[in-house]
Amino acid sequence: MKISLANRIEVGLFRHKLLVLMLFIITSAFFLFQATQIRLDASFTKNIPLNHSYMKTYLKHRTNFGGANNILISVCDSNGDIFNADFFNALKGVHDKLFFIPGVDRIQVKSLFSPSTRFVEVVEDGFAGGPVIPADFQPTEKGLGVVKSNIEKAGIVGSIVADDYSCAMVKAALLEFNPDTGEKLDTLEIAEKLEQEVRQEFERDNISVHIIGFAKMVGDVAEGAKGVVLFFALAIAITAVMVYIFCHSIRLTILPILCSLVAVVWQMGMLSSLGFGLDPMSILIPFLVFAIGVSHGVQMINSVVKKVATGLTPASAAQASFRALLIPGGVALLSDTVGFLTLLSIDIGIIKELAITASIGVAMIILTNLILLPVLLSFTKIKVSAKVGQLSEQSAVWNFMASFASKGPARIILFFTAILFVVGFYQGQGLKIGELHSGAPALHESSRYNQDTFLITDRYAISVDYMSVIIETSPDACTYYDTMSTIDRFQWQMENVAGVQSAVSLSSISKIVNAGYNEGNPKWRVIPRNQQTLVQSIARVPSSSGLLNSDCSVMPVILFLEDHKADTINTVIEAVKATAKELGSEKVQFKLASGPVGVMAATNEAVAEAQLPMMLYVYGAVIALCLISFRSVRATLVVVLPLYVVSTLAQWLMTALDIGLTVSTLPVIALGVGIGVDYGIYILSTMSTKLKEGMNVHDAYLEALKERGSAVLITGLTLAIGVSTWFFSYLKFQVDMGILLTFMFLVNMLAAIIILPALSAFLWSDKGNDKKQ
Amino acid sequence: MRLLVAFAVIYFISISPVFADNTASTIAIPTPAIESPLASKSLLLDISLIGQEKLITVGQHGHILLSNDGEKWQQANVPVQVTLTNVFFLNDQLGWAVGHDATILHSQDGGLNWQVQQYLPLLEKPLFDIYFKNPQQGIAVGAYGQVFRSNDGGITWKNEFHQEMLLADDVEYLNELKAEDEAAYLDEITFILPHFNGLVQDGDSLFLLGETGLLARSDDFGLTWQQFDNFYQGSFFSLARTQTGNVLVVGLRGHVFRSLNNGSQWDEIPTNTTALLNDIVFANDERIFILGNNGMLLISTDDGESFSKRPQQDGKTLIAGVWFKGKLIAVSDVGIKVVDLSQQ
Repeated sequence: MKISLANRIEVGLFRHKLLVLMLFIITSAFFLFQATQIRLDASFTKNIPLNHSYMKTYLKHRTNFGGANNILISVCDSNGDIFNADFFNALKGVHDKLFFIPGVDRIQVKSLFSPSTRFVEVVEDGFAGGPVIPADFQPTEKGLGVVKSNIEKAGIVGSIVADDYSCAMVKAALLEFNPDTGEKLDTLEIAEKLEQEVRQEFERDNISVHIIGFAKMVGDVAEGAKGVVLFFALAIAITAVMVYIFCHSIRLTILPILCSLVAVVWQMGMLSSLGFGLDPMSILIPFLVFAIGVSHGVQMINSVVKKVATGLTPASAAQASFRALLIPGGVALLSDTVGFLTLLSIDIGIIKELAITASIGVAMIILTNLILLPVLLSFTKIKVSAKVGQLSEQSAVWNFMASFASKGPARIILFFTAILFVVGFYQGQGLKIGELHSGAPALHESSRYNQDTFLITDRYAISVDYMSVIIETSPDACTYYDTMSTIDRFQWQMENVAGVQSAVSLSSISKIVNAGYNEGNPKWRVIPRNQQTLVQSIARVPSSSGLLNSDCSVMPVILFLEDHKADTINTVIEAVKATAKELGSEKVQFKLASGPVGVMAATNEAVAEAQLPMMLYVYGAVIALCLISFRSVRATLVVVLPLYVVSTLAQWLMTALDIGLTVSTLPVIALGVGIGVDYGIYILSTMSTKLKEGMNVHDAYLEALKERGSAVLITGLTLAIGVSTWFFSYLKFQVDMGILLTFMFLVNMLAAIIILPALSAFLWSDKGNDKKQ
Repeated sequence: MRLLVAFAVIYFISISPVFADNTASTIAIPTPAIESPLASKSLLLDISLIGQEKLITVGQHGHILLSNDGEKWQQANVPVQVTLTNVFFLNDQLGWAVGHDATILHSQDGGLNWQVQQYLPLLEKPLFDIYFKNPQQGIAVGAYGQVFRSNDGGITWKNEFHQEMLLADDVEYLNELKAEDEAAYLDEITFILPHFNGLVQDGDSLFLLGETGLLARSDDFGLTWQQFDNFYQGSFFSLARTQTGNVLVVGLRGHVFRSLNNGSQWDEIPTNTTALLNDIVFANDERIFILGNNGMLLISTDDGESFSKRPQQDGKTLIAGVWFKGKLIAVSDVGIKVVDLSQQ
């Protein structure tokens, strides 16, 4: 049935070659148009596991404690301190500029120049105060002196002014919508404005402008992602050279590359038609699609050229190659697709989209490289290049490699493989989940954004690595001593956890305000037992502070952490859970978690939870496809075991290179397995045919090498080259993905030509030896 | 500076000090303090010497810490998590500490283990100072003119209402109220007195200092008090007699007063700061230090006739201090600090 179906397809396709070609051209034109419409998409919610319990808490209270979309701009003076006319002019300029950027919440723009920045001092008959920068401020020595003393009274050193007076801050929050247009705020546009209208305009000689915040980070990531266009061109160029070395024919070099580009165009066009956008992670998928396309194209050319060499016309050689490769090629590509689809099991939007993007891309390759390419080849005049023939007949090399399939060398290979596996397995246990480096994880530590982050966290008492524990209780709970005191105890216990730098909550503010109402006497720095006094101590804290909601039934404790490394997050999360259990009750519930580190904690947990199921699914799919196509348990084993060894070694590599298991590296493992299986399938499909014909393992492997060996080598190299260009990316996670994928592609190829035959030598040994003897 | 008082008067609380001891027994048992790595780096409110070789400090969350060198601190076993404001040791072994919720704690083993002698959260008032003149007789004072007295080493404490500390206007008002509404009167007197911020022993006398310029002396261990003529409207927080026998008193907004004649006349010493001044500390030489909020440190080398400013860079509030082995060791809102006395 299978053969007859394939036959029918084959006959149908090649009889109506021109029609098929026309269809491809029309479809390509349509998708090309669609692909040009694709937009860059960097929404925040796509990056988080929305169904995780922490994120449910986060989403539930986001409207009250949103506050995550802030912009911090630190203006610094490299000549010592900020008290000079130049600096104050620049600071005022930045403040005003930011104020007028559409989408910035104008009420919340805060700096020395905002009227809400006031000082209060205790005097004998009550309080006295005023704006830190008086209305009649002149940047003279006297005026600056007044401002300096007001800054000290206002207690804003560390928040609005740097600890060492070398910088001052302008803070702003972003709205959800652009008030001018009523449309959803374009984060990338804001980032562009911050760069062009704020930094470029006010940064000069001794004044530097440092901008951080989610919008700016996304802008920088998007900017960095644009660099991949260059890498794509580079990948195409190197691949073309590789293919040319393989086939020594410009025509044969162009065809697979063209077909693969068609697959990329179809994939992008289809994404755009389906309403998906490109994000900095899925922008890498075209590379994969292209590389996979070329690698399968090479197999096709290899087959056609060999058949032409035996005297067939290009047309019938193409047709015969289509017949020969439809099944192994189809199975290999299908297993790639399934490998990608397993990623759908991970409940993080960005990974799901990656799964869809990648599987669409690979599905397109089935059409372009298994159908379009042979059809195009059938039109082509092919001169049999002596070189291609020679490569296949390089029997010295192939003969040597074929010895891997005899028992003696196989024993040595398997022995070393076992050692590598054990060491890799042992070392790979050290694999950490989450981000292992400080700064924004998407970007390099040396990037401007991360350098600015380090400067700001260094000079101010500000941390960008914070997590909010949300306390859910009853309305007006902040007016009850018991609730506030429980929160205070929780906060204190958290402050004592290693990795927590400091913490703030309505309770801790209440204590400071209470001391303020009592002449600033530190002995009154307690939560007032008296309810009216307690109300007084919190009455002036607005809900915009992010410390309470409108009826104070929900209050967060914000924990500022030393960093967002996986170990730190785990320690703190464990401590929060334990303390919440000890202090929580029906009335006062401690819920994880909000804030950037809360999101990371949820993501880490989702990644950790997804790891095992994803591996099971991807291996399950690969095993199922092998069983179906080879109908042999032995064949399945020899394909899958080397894959597993390589996956284990990849974990070792990650541990050794300090690459954590994250949203971006987790899919790589699935991709690596899904694509890595291709080599094994190509080699084994020839081998198993020969074995069935009664050949022994050594000879069957030799035949497979002659037929597919050079193509497999070229495939591995092409794939590796395609992804290795990511090493030079501006984005840290692309570099990590590039390293891992390059490793997976190269080492899986080596495993398929070294470990696979060695395993076969033992699994088929009896039969093979019997026949030989 | 009567903000809080005024506020409390409007919303008075239905607890009479007379019944305070009885209500205490119905209150839940307090939660013991937990051992915390950051105890010595968080808000501490008093520090004191036990003998010459040991330091003790108390602060928030029921923290009591002991040290032999001022660097390594050991947390004592404390049965409350209440913020403690003051600690006093009579000798090497016997000590008392007071704090919020009118808490009085006692130790008989040099500060390692503590027992509750009084815990009255329903009073909603803190105690600020405690002094024992012998193992039996002690007196504790606090906010809203609270005075507690014990004659049995703290096993029982009795509340005293010191009417003589009332302002003249308040006396009239209270008399009227008492005639009209006995219950309202009883409520009123729980909050009408000024805060008593400190007790200072001076020979056979005791000084009491507090809110609204309160400064008084007692020769009968606090049974009766003689107030000095009012020379300042703000609060006083610390008083001390210098080596040459003159008296210094410090308080709100950088105010320092000095008397050469035991208090019959006071001269204001200019300090050029508006920081709240918390404590006076003597070095073993002629230096006198005044510790204040926002890192303010004042130094005198002329018996308090003049002070120079030496503000600490970090701006942390210096709350109390002792001179220990040639160093000024202070407590602050970020815990123990060895004060930087170098010239800047």
